[in-house]
Amino acid sequence: MGFLAPWFLGGLAALGVPVFVHLLRKHVTIPRPVSSLMFFERGTQSSTRHRRLRYLLLFALRFALLLLVVLAFADPFVRRPAADANGRLLLIVLDDSFSMRAGTRFADAKQQALAVLAAKPHSQKAQVMALGGQFEVLTQAIADEAQLRSALESIQVGDGHANFGELGRSIRALGETVHGPIDLHLFSDMQRTAMPANFADMVLPANVTLVLHAVAKGTAPPNWTVASVSAPAELADPKDPKRSRVQAVVAGFGTPAAAKTVSFVVNGKAVATRKVDVPANGRAAVQFAPLDVGYGFNRCELRIEGGGDAFPADDRSVFVIRRSDPERVLFVRAGNDTRSALYFGAALGAATQASFVLQSLTAEQTTDLDPSKYAFVVLSDAVTLPSIFEHTLAQYVSKGGSVLIALGTGAGHHARIPLWGGDVNDAHDYVRSGGAATVGQVDFTHPALEQAQPGRDNGGWAETKFFYAAVVDPGQARVAARLGDGTPLLLDRQIGEGHVLLLTSGLENLTNDLPLHPVFVAFVDKAARYLSGSERLSGSRLVDSFVQLRSGAEPVGEVASVEVIDPEGRRPLSLNEARTVQTFRLRRGGFYQIRFANGRDAVIGVNPDRRESDLEPIAPDVQQLWNGSKGEASIQTAAAAGDEAKYRPVSLWWYVMLLALVVALAETVVASGYMGTQREDA
Amino acid sequence: MQRFLDPAVLAGISSLDLLAKTVVDGFVAGLHRSPDFGFSQEFAEYRAYVPGDDLRHVDWNLFARTERCYLKRYRGETNSQLVVLLDASNSMQYTSGPLKKMDYARFIAASLFYLAIRNQRDAAGLIVFDDEVREYVRPSTRVGQLSRLFAGLEQAEPRARTDFGKPLQHFQQLLHRRGIAIVISDFYEEPEKIVHAIEPLRFHGNDVVLFHILDPEEIRPVLKGPSLLVDLETDQQIEVIPEYTKTTYRAKMEAHIEQLRSRTRGAGMDYRLLATDQPLDEALREYLSLRQAGN
Repeated sequence: MGFLAPWFLGGLAALGVPVFVHLLRKHVTIPRPVSSLMFFERGTQSSTRHRRLRYLLLFALRFALLLLVVLAFADPFVRRPAADANGRLLLIVLDDSFSMRAGTRFADAKQQALAVLAAKPHSQKAQVMALGGQFEVLTQAIADEAQLRSALESIQVGDGHANFGELGRSIRALGETVHGPIDLHLFSDMQRTAMPANFADMVLPANVTLVLHAVAKGTAPPNWTVASVSAPAELADPKDPKRSRVQAVVAGFGTPAAAKTVSFVVNGKAVATRKVDVPANGRAAVQFAPLDVGYGFNRCELRIEGGGDAFPADDRSVFVIRRSDPERVLFVRAGNDTRSALYFGAALGAATQASFVLQSLTAEQTTDLDPSKYAFVVLSDAVTLPSIFEHTLAQYVSKGGSVLIALGTGAGHHARIPLWGGDVNDAHDYVRSGGAATVGQVDFTHPALEQAQPGRDNGGWAETKFFYAAVVDPGQARVAARLGDGTPLLLDRQIGEGHVLLLTSGLENLTNDLPLHPVFVAFVDKAARYLSGSERLSGSRLVDSFVQLRSGAEPVGEVASVEVIDPEGRRPLSLNEARTVQTFRLRRGGFYQIRFANGRDAVIGVNPDRRESDLEPIAPDVQQLWNGSKGEASIQTAAAAGDEAKYRPVSLWWYVMLLALVVALAETVVASGYMGTQREDA
Repeated sequence: MQRFLDPAVLAGISSLDLLAKTVVDGFVAGLHRSPDFGFSQEFAEYRAYVPGDDLRHVDWNLFARTERCYLKRYRGETNSQLVVLLDASNSMQYTSGPLKKMDYARFIAASLFYLAIRNQRDAAGLIVFDDEVREYVRPSTRVGQLSRLFAGLEQAEPRARTDFGKPLQHFQQLLHRRGIAIVISDFYEEPEKIVHAIEPLRFHGNDVVLFHILDPEEIRPVLKGPSLLVDLETDQQIEVIPEYTKTTYRAKMEAHIEQLRSRTRGAGMDYRLLATDQPLDEALREYLSLRQAGN
């Protein structure tokens, strides 16, 4: 019990009024005159006692009335378990991102979350969620403490990258279905890099009360990390000085200047060591060349030796280099076309990430060829293929092979496009219409056109000119690029496990000037890696990125199983999932071993997002601003919030006033009885 | 005419003269119908002549018829003297109704004075006392005596407390001639002391009557609840319960009255208890009967 306005207790001094009236004035009565007291005697004690008892009853009632009125003004309250009456939903969100591995952050956060859960009233519903690479809802809104506790304890620290914007979006979505008040307790290291680019993404609905439990206090501890690694995923010639090297950047966050030793580990053996001077709070590059690696998958690791920081988990970066002989690419061209192979081959040779050997043949020479020996096949204006080869090629594609088709002038009007399943509807001859077409729209997310930050010249594509383009019905194919007039330029179609990439113009520098531009090299490089599938087989990825295990199209023939072995050597997919799942999320850091549906094996190094290495917390004023985004001004401390979550004050003034009314009525009845007696005496 | 003797009716009359006239006239008119009472100068009896008797009282008409010598005797040949001793202590101020005991005592005294002076040609006097003699009007039959007596009654406002012993010493000095002494009081004193104080008047040959004036509420008091009572004379206060007044008090009061009655009778005095709600004729009748006996 407590009092919200204890100053009103000063009114208890008014209790002296009934004391005065009843004790000091009790004997004041109207005397009755008589001629003589000669025959009178003083009244007996029993009568007096009876009278005093009655007055004491009145006194007690008046005393109680004043006491109750004073108590009502003092507004007494009792602390009752909260949320049983108003139905507040308790959300416990535990940050299990990679940065929580630093020190005892995750253990502290989990302990605090368990404490809040233990303080929860039995009837209050709660929900446990994890904020890591993905926002995971672990339980429904339930009141079962054992289940909630079990869910909370089952959360293990992960390697993902937390994003408070994703938290805001998820809570906003939750707020649309839960209309009651929500208490959101976030247990996190409040990493600054977890903030989204747009602060508005973090805003929570009005019915959500955010309580931040920051486990990282003060300034961030110093931390060195391998910020980035540039290494070839495929390596054909270890002596190639341009490709046979690993470049890495060592970065320090909040660190003094220091000399760090970086080791290059291949398959568990340190093959090289470099010393690098990292400036204070800065970066330094380190390079290992040449790379002496064996054939096959080489599990490589760059490691900062010596530790010395608060977050040793990010002192290594893993990647895979697959050494193999150069892969062959089958280039099928029309008989009179010699230029396209030249340009394509030159561009393919200039590519740095992979090694291919181009084998150029005319369409007529392909009758007995087995396309499965090639990384991928290019059909340059070769619309007329031997039927045997076309059939073989179709099977090759359905099993995972890929084909690039370029439609030059040879395709003609209404010509059938091999493998594509459609015809050329029309052809735009821009020269006749007095000019050339430019590329209007480019999908830079397509693997063949991928650019992280395309320039204002449309990633280099704006300078190219197209004089001729076939018009093809895109159907269900993905249009990766369009010309200025909307004509599809590059289409991607999934057939079976394979892809068919269709360029509606040629590669021979006649129907366009694309081969003369630098963007052609990049295009050929990325298209070659995309079509060969080598980019999926090795290299490195970020945690929480997805790997496509099989195509989304209906399987052709027998269903092949995929196989995934995670860094701990376990198989995360069940047998049923292995036959059906299309994508797989790389949850942990380390080496994943994957066998795709098309039968190809891959080993991928997975690294946590390096933004997690910056342990700098969000500034207090920004945290306050986030709290204030749902209408409250101050940051509540964890202890106070926990106490508040447990109890809520319930005011008793209404009941006290009701009791005072009853006492007042009783006092009126008793007092009126006394007044009647006094009139008779008078 | 009886209603004019009702104290409640008389309380409405402000003048004592008129009040006394109303009472006595009404009383006398009623008396004429009674055969038991007569007045002086009235034939009483014949007595045989003995030598030495005054020959003027011989009934010569009877001697002529019978040749026997008889004397003719009359009543009321002599005038009496009435003295009223009025208690004017504070206790006489008590009332439970429209009439105070003091007012009732005044009415009685005034009526007695009127009856004595106007009708009986008696001398009348007044002594007002409390713990001492406050007013004294010498008994007389002179013209204006009645007015003096009424003025004395008017001025007799209650105060102080009763003390019979002290003033009655003066009574003996003031009352030289035999007569009728009427003491009007509420007699809140021990009966023995009262009789002891008044007894000397009787020794001087006076006919002494005690008119005990009490309010009906004093005889049978009624309390609804425990009450605080204050003595009008001493201002003493005590708390009294109703049960006591219903039982013990009444018994004590009755014992007091009875004791007073028996002791006064024993001392050769008359005693009359008068409640203030009783008609006044009781007192007048007592006076006349005493005067009759005195002759």
